[in-house]
Amino acid sequence: MSVEVRNITKKFGGFTALDNVSLKVESGELVALLGPSGSGKTTLLRTIAGLEFPDNTGEAQVLFYGEDVTSIPASERKAGFAFQHYALFRHMTVFENIAFGLRVRPKTTRPAEVKIRERVGELLKLIQLEPLAERFPSQLSGGQRQRVALARALAVEPKVLLLDEPFGALDAKVRKELRRWLRNLHDEIHITTLFVTHDQEEALEVSDRVAILRDGKIEQIGTPDEIYDHPASPFVYDFLGNVNLFSGRVHEGSVTIGDSKFDVPETSGESGADTVAFVRPHDIRITREANGQKSFPARIVRSNAAGPVANLELERFDGGGRFTAQLGKEEFQQLQLKAGENVFVELKNVKVFSDDFSI
Amino acid sequence: MATRQLGAKKLRVLPGFKLTLGFTLFYLGLIVLIPLSAVFIKTSTLTWAQFSHTVFSPQALAAYRLSFGASFFAALVNAIFGLIVAWVLVRYNFLGKKLVDALVDLPFALPTAVAGITLATLYSPNGWIGGLLAPLGIKVAYTQLGVFVALTFIGLPFIVRTVQPVLEDFDPELEDAAASLGANRWQVFWRVIFPTLTPALLTGFALAFARALGEYGSVVFISSNIPMKTQIVPLLIMNELDGFQYAKATALAVVMLVISFLILLAVNVLQWWSNRYNTNNLA
Repeated sequence: MSVEVRNITKKFGGFTALDNVSLKVESGELVALLGPSGSGKTTLLRTIAGLEFPDNTGEAQVLFYGEDVTSIPASERKAGFAFQHYALFRHMTVFENIAFGLRVRPKTTRPAEVKIRERVGELLKLIQLEPLAERFPSQLSGGQRQRVALARALAVEPKVLLLDEPFGALDAKVRKELRRWLRNLHDEIHITTLFVTHDQEEALEVSDRVAILRDGKIEQIGTPDEIYDHPASPFVYDFLGNVNLFSGRVHEGSVTIGDSKFDVPETSGESGADTVAFVRPHDIRITREANGQKSFPARIVRSNAAGPVANLELERFDGGGRFTAQLGKEEFQQLQLKAGENVFVELKNVKVFSDDFSI
Repeated sequence: MATRQLGAKKLRVLPGFKLTLGFTLFYLGLIVLIPLSAVFIKTSTLTWAQFSHTVFSPQALAAYRLSFGASFFAALVNAIFGLIVAWVLVRYNFLGKKLVDALVDLPFALPTAVAGITLATLYSPNGWIGGLLAPLGIKVAYTQLGVFVALTFIGLPFIVRTVQPVLEDFDPELEDAAASLGANRWQVFWRVIFPTLTPALLTGFALAFARALGEYGSVVFISSNIPMKTQIVPLLIMNELDGFQYAKATALAVVMLVISFLILLAVNVLQWWSNRYNTNNLA
């Protein structure tokens, strides 16, 4: 049982938003669609909702629990949709906004007024906004509006919940609160959910699985651990966090950068070939003393120790450019690092991709 | 003391509240209130019996009925068709859209007498349109229907120009949201789009209605101006003026003023009510 799309292609003029995309979301799963703007993630979500239709009719399919809904319009698909800018009906109170989906049902399936009140009451309780039922959207804060939008989408008991950058318009603090709230809500009601985001931290923290999109294609899909620890491409690696690039040469089980040599467990490609090594800033170790071939010298250009970690910008002696390192506050204080000083650098968890160097 | 007050005062980017308010009151007084109060003063030279005889005469009552009735229905028809015109201009792209957009403003710009003569010619029994309607037994020119046609003509731009910007600002995501909640097209329009247009539609209606009440130039040409039948109030006032009955003319004007004011006030209340959700006071 799942929500599934098969072979979706969608073009806007000359721009290919989706290029033969297939995706399967298991029942009760929370999947994040992660990608930069223009990668097609919102178009995919809108196609599932029935707000866009694929170009390649015939091949393309949208399936809700085995039922083919490809040609069914949004109003009959029963997919709950939440928008980045909430799209609340501003002439209706919070209560009426949530009740909307029930009130527009045809007479035969419309619940009685008492039932509607009961259902809206439950949802108001779920989003913890019971006292604000008679307010208008303009009297709510951004976070409250998005919760109302979610309740409104849930009121119709959708088969799938689709969230388009639900926290995109909120400030950082509210955003973190709300995404934890969303995860708890999902654990409570277990509705199949897809949500679009361009924030990797959000995707990794909230979802069961993450699908990374690039230029209308799914680049990689997997659990947050899988994609973070085993990125399939430099693009995924780069998108999931800050990264330093070092050009070097591959050898069996290692890579040479300048005069230094670092172990790389997963190497592929022929020995001696030029390559680019990827290292996360927190996988860079700073020492006062050289460690033979396993380190290289560098100069600290700038240091910033505000917050829980210290960020350093360093410059290699051999003209290989600048890179950034991140280390714990304690370590930073022990080493007593200052801008302008010369130090030695060791690299851990070096990642090398075989053919595609581009990001 | 002075500096302390200055500190407490809310500083604005553009100063001059007192100056601009003073000017506003002076201007309104000079242009609107003084001429209008002169109407009341002139009317007060009549005795109560003379006044009621003038304003409640059968001829006057018939004229009120025609003026208010024709203006109301003209504004109502404009509200419906103006909304459709605005909808088409905002929602669709077609060849000659800019031209159609410009055409909408013509009733604003055209001298009303020209409009009246043109309409009278077109709708007279031997005119282009009147000729087609005559065999069906429909007479437009020189009838009450003609008055209604002229008032519809001059009122159209008010609705289109007030509704158009609101429709342009309408967020298409609201339609998507309503559709995803199961609303059909009809429900999307009536429950989501229409309520957001009502304040603008009411404003346009009030403007078109007020404009139609005061219209004189175009109506005198298309109407036969027969007392009790096709005579509008402004024309009745003109007749009194022609007979040097200034006080009687102003008495009729006073009645028009009071009724118009009450109707516009009612529309404003309605408009405020339909826009009550538009608050920004965050709790």
